Amino acid sequence: MTRPSSGEVLAKSAPSGLGRILDHRVLLSIAVLALLPWLLPSKALAVNVLIYGVVVMGYNLLFGYTGLLSFGQAAFFGAGAYFTGIAIGRYGVPWFAAVPIAVLLSTGLAALIGVVSTRTRGIYFSMVTLALAQLVYYVALQAASFTGGENGLRGFTVDRISLFGLQVNFLDPVNKYYVLMGFAGLAMWFQSRILNSPFGAVIEAIRENEQRARACGYDVERSKLVVFMLSGAISSLGGCMLALHLSIVPLDILHYQTSGMIVMMVLLGGARSFFGPFVGAASFLILEDVVSLWTPHWQIFVGAIFVLFVLFLPKGIWGTLLDAIGVGKARQ
Amino acid sequence: MPKSGSTSKITRRTALAGLSASVALFAMPRIGHAADETIRIGFPTPLTGPFAAEARDQVKCAELAVKLVNDKGGISGRKVELLVRDDKLNAGEAATRTLELIEKDKVHAVVGALSSAVQLAVNEVTRARGVIYVSISQSDTINEAKDFSKYTFHEALNPHMTTAAVARQTLKKGMKVAHLVADYAYGHEMLRGFKRAQASIGADNVGEILHPFGAADYSTFIPRLMSMRPDVLCISNFGRDQANAIKQAVDFGVKRQMKIVVPVILHNQRLAVGPDVFEGVVGGANYYWGLEAQSKSAAAFNTAFKAANGGAIPTDYGAYGYSGVGSLLAAMQTAGGTDTDKVVDALEKLQYDLTKGPQHYRKCDHQSVQSVLVLESKKKSAMAGENDLFAILANDASSDDMLRSCSELGHAT
Repeated sequence: MTRPSSGEVLAKSAPSGLGRILDHRVLLSIAVLALLPWLLPSKALAVNVLIYGVVVMGYNLLFGYTGLLSFGQAAFFGAGAYFTGIAIGRYGVPWFAAVPIAVLLSTGLAALIGVVSTRTRGIYFSMVTLALAQLVYYVALQAASFTGGENGLRGFTVDRISLFGLQVNFLDPVNKYYVLMGFAGLAMWFQSRILNSPFGAVIEAIRENEQRARACGYDVERSKLVVFMLSGAISSLGGCMLALHLSIVPLDILHYQTSGMIVMMVLLGGARSFFGPFVGAASFLILEDVVSLWTPHWQIFVGAIFVLFVLFLPKGIWGTLLDAIGVGKARQ
Repeated sequence: MPKSGSTSKITRRTALAGLSASVALFAMPRIGHAADETIRIGFPTPLTGPFAAEARDQVKCAELAVKLVNDKGGISGRKVELLVRDDKLNAGEAATRTLELIEKDKVHAVVGALSSAVQLAVNEVTRARGVIYVSISQSDTINEAKDFSKYTFHEALNPHMTTAAVARQTLKKGMKVAHLVADYAYGHEMLRGFKRAQASIGADNVGEILHPFGAADYSTFIPRLMSMRPDVLCISNFGRDQANAIKQAVDFGVKRQMKIVVPVILHNQRLAVGPDVFEGVVGGANYYWGLEAQSKSAAAFNTAFKAANGGAIPTDYGAYGYSGVGSLLAAMQTAGGTDTDKVVDALEKLQYDLTKGPQHYRKCDHQSVQSVLVLESKKKSAMAGENDLFAILANDASSDDMLRSCSELGHAT
């Protein structure tokens, strides 16, 4: 998972022609996402690409950039969704306040899980995150009076929102998409800022060689914890978006299968690339959506395609594409 | 300069013309919408996963209901189309599929789902958008005021009425009852129903064990249940879990000590496991094809189904697909189209008899008031043919008294 590639860390410092375009990666990404509802077969699918794109992007910070393979990202995705739903449905918090509250609470959860899990390495880290995320799943299952348990959380439909004094019908799929795209844009800007900061260089240094990073005087343990929390925060924003989108929170969102799906999406799209998570989420969801329309055995096809990717395109769709047009090195 | 200017002018004009032409082209289909538009019914159901067998039966029966209406010329001359989607037994997936059905396919109503959580998710999406939803899967929660809406209808039996009918048939005062329960909403609601019925009958609860959903191995649970020494063992789970649990219980010799009772005895699971294992197991059902001896509508439904499916017989969960879609189409027929308020009104007033006798939707919670069957699985030697699976022990006629009262469910009365 942490195959070193030459010049990965240094590439930032020398913006060339292409590099200058890629400096605006957030704006470019938003421009592409803005077209999505008109390109995909349905608006609901487009919103899902947006949501999973944000979740996977958060995960990419941890897995792609820092090299920590977590199997528990669903915990933060789910926490964001549940906290948003509970805040709106149970405590009557307005939606625009519910989202930051949910992200903050989820970041707190990420801090808790991170304190325990970032002390471990390699396969142990994966297992500890998996176990702790399952713990969150069972808490949600048992605390049925808060979460709706097995039946899922319901009763917090946001149908009308007021945006800068403008009344917007949030049930309209197009309005909903562009409002949620605003959140996605914010998350992308945030992630881009992290990656461009000295801290961004530190986490990549940790991925490349943890011992050397420590020898250089960086606090590896604390950096890992911080990146774990940031990753959780971004993924939880995806959860908030899901809650607003579906107006339910299914219990399955916390299941380890969701974590597995997030890992698959990042591998499909391309770990370590900025826009890869969105490409991964889109390709996974479109495959699932389209193939399951003509055969109930869609999993066979999706599974086979996934295996082919791991074998022949380890950098994922976006990573391979960027390499092919020669910006692979500069894409950081 | 002037020359290049003129060429650029032409391009701009061409561009404008092209643009307006393409805009017009996109706008075209919107003009074409007329009154003879097809009526579209969305049908999310778990075509993949542990309930796939039941889901496929639901689809076949729903398609039959649609076909019968179309053969008679549709509804006010409009053809009906069924849009089947795989919800993968996942609430989030079901909500997304329902959104697609409403936003993209512009369905006029939704029927379907085969799990408590999934139907509640579908209901949440449809009720917010004012789309009629007829649920065809067991749930008590969907009757309650919190999840109810004017657009929510529940065609399936609910755990409360099912367990009450089964308990009346199998339990007596002073009997000892133990429970093996699938640890999710369906199991919990069935357990609650059984315990309520036990209390009113005067049977004693000697213990209950929860097992995880989709468990394959029950060997650790069964000795514990046997040590409780009950007279009756209630196994409240669904789909493949039911077959696995009963099979292993029988291997342990449970039937020599006690009677096995299930809330819903599943046609497909009995077929999958065989007569010897299921022999003597008693359970509730919404439908059994053998009802044709007692009911004309069952005979008609069986005949229509056989004709459409190469002689196969309809199953219990299949019948929900037929009556769920059938009742909705009947109401649309009365309303003369798809106007939501008129159809809701027609559904509330509808008296229908599609598979087994009179049914109607109760006004306060839109629960379908219907008869409940109690079946006993036949001994192999007593079977007249390979489809002769069950003996009908009771056919409790439909009555509002079977349901929890409107005020108990939190509805204004």
